[in-house]
Amino acid sequence: MKRFLRIINHYLAFFLLAAFLVTCCIMLFTSTLMNSLGITLTGENLETAAKLTFGNVLLLSLLFTVVDIIRRKMTVDRTARRIAEAARKIVAGDFSVRVPLPSRMGSSEGFREIVDCFNEMAQELSGVETLRTDFISNVSHEMKTPLAAMNNYGRLLQAPGLPEEKRMEYARGIADHSRRLADMITNILKLSRLENQQIFPKGERFNLGEQLCEALLQFENIWERENIEIETDIAEDIMVHLDRELLSLVWNNLLSNAFKFTPAGGKISLSLTADESHALVKIQDSGCGMSPETGAHIFEKFYQGDTSHATRGNGLGLALVKRVVDIVHGEITVESELGRGSIFTVKVKRA
Amino acid sequence: MFKILVVEDDKDLNRTVCAFLNHSGYEATGCLDVAQAYDAMYETVYDLIVSDIMMPGADGFELAKNVRAINENIPILFMTARDDMASKQRGFRIGVDDYMVKPIDLDELFLRIGALLRRAKIASSRKLEVGHFIMDADEYTAELDGEEIPMTVREFNILYKLLSYPKKTFTRQQLMDEFWDADSETAPRAVDVYMTKLRSKLAECGDFEIKTVHGLGYKAVIK
Repeated sequence: MKRFLRIINHYLAFFLLAAFLVTCCIMLFTSTLMNSLGITLTGENLETAAKLTFGNVLLLSLLFTVVDIIRRKMTVDRTARRIAEAARKIVAGDFSVRVPLPSRMGSSEGFREIVDCFNEMAQELSGVETLRTDFISNVSHEMKTPLAAMNNYGRLLQAPGLPEEKRMEYARGIADHSRRLADMITNILKLSRLENQQIFPKGERFNLGEQLCEALLQFENIWERENIEIETDIAEDIMVHLDRELLSLVWNNLLSNAFKFTPAGGKISLSLTADESHALVKIQDSGCGMSPETGAHIFEKFYQGDTSHATRGNGLGLALVKRVVDIVHGEITVESELGRGSIFTVKVKRA
Repeated sequence: MFKILVVEDDKDLNRTVCAFLNHSGYEATGCLDVAQAYDAMYETVYDLIVSDIMMPGADGFELAKNVRAINENIPILFMTARDDMASKQRGFRIGVDDYMVKPIDLDELFLRIGALLRRAKIASSRKLEVGHFIMDADEYTAELDGEEIPMTVREFNILYKLLSYPKKTFTRQQLMDEFWDADSETAPRAVDVYMTKLRSKLAECGDFEIKTVHGLGYKAVIK
């Protein structure tokens, strides 16, 4: 019924348009003809012609309507239906659906743009969905492991008559695993705060070299204990205008990784250089390095290059670093070779 | 024996922190809220306060503010789940001496309490002794084996700072910010000149030395 009404509507519109055009044309034509030939046309003269023309208009409008319906079917309706179907699928949770791009012939540019945007949206949504499911399975694994370990140690501790050294070992196990869990929760909270926050403070002007020195000094105990050689080359008076606290997260995480993966007696270097517009921070370690495959994934949440190092981190540090570098519109790159160590380079704008 | 007041509303955490401190040679008393803490402080004089921030009733900020109004010198250490900059700033502005974010590492808590108490002692006596070397902050004099070592005020201040925090490295910028005028045009390298002077003046002293840390800064190491 609705469809029928729509067709009538279209027909009426075409009819009115055609009637208007034909009337205008005929009036212009006849009046010019009458003037130039000096004849007068009466109603009687015109009656047959008028009836014929009216019938013609009716017929032409019908033709237009039919052609228009077919055109619509071919171009607009089909694409619109496809988009609507795809949208319904997405609502139902299927993010793999894509709308085929309508041919350039016989479809408006506007539709192609809509389809393009739609497919892009579906792509993004499926990306988010994978991340979300991965994230949940990763989080639950990472959380349950230390909890299970603590649980086990707790049970072991309940055994009567444990020798002192065993008791110490189990207690230390609980302490270590709870610390690991706590560190991870802290990082998850930080990361989720950074990911949900849209507006960031403007930042302040500060001395980047000084911030780097202070960040490095936090690891003084470790390099003294592990006998790690430190090399610094920090240019003076390089100022930046950024969020100071956020940026310190980057240095802390990168340095903490460097110290984590550098064996005793190794070497870590930190350098700060600058050109007119940018400051370049390089953190190099002589640790175990990583393969190119690993390097391609290290900024992803919960990714850990070497599962044997799983107990030494939670796979969130570099995701945090990446997020902060993105927020301050910087760049981060990594060069690494298995067995030779890694170089992380961070580039930020100078003030 | 140093007396420490622990204000923390979580019973288990409170009990474990107190037990740990008691094991480590301090005398710790636990309070579950600020009102209890005030009562405890009426009865006993404490040397240091460890406090949570978020607690039912009055919070840690209020406790710190009220304690500071009466006693300027007692070290206060915040132990809290809030790691945002705003809370830290607020704490330090009220006059808190140190800040630890939960979950806290008990060994670290022990180290920090030790450092706070030592500094509090230095602050209250205004005297600093390292082996045979004595510095008097009221007179601005430094003595080695009873013999005075002449020093400028700035040299004295820098050395006093380094020795108040032994083993902690200060960057040149940190020292500049503290001991030079804010608008001074001096480059951070000027600090190097002072260190050279101090080292030559203290060449005879075997109780500590000033170490350069990888071009990052300086620290005093007691032998």
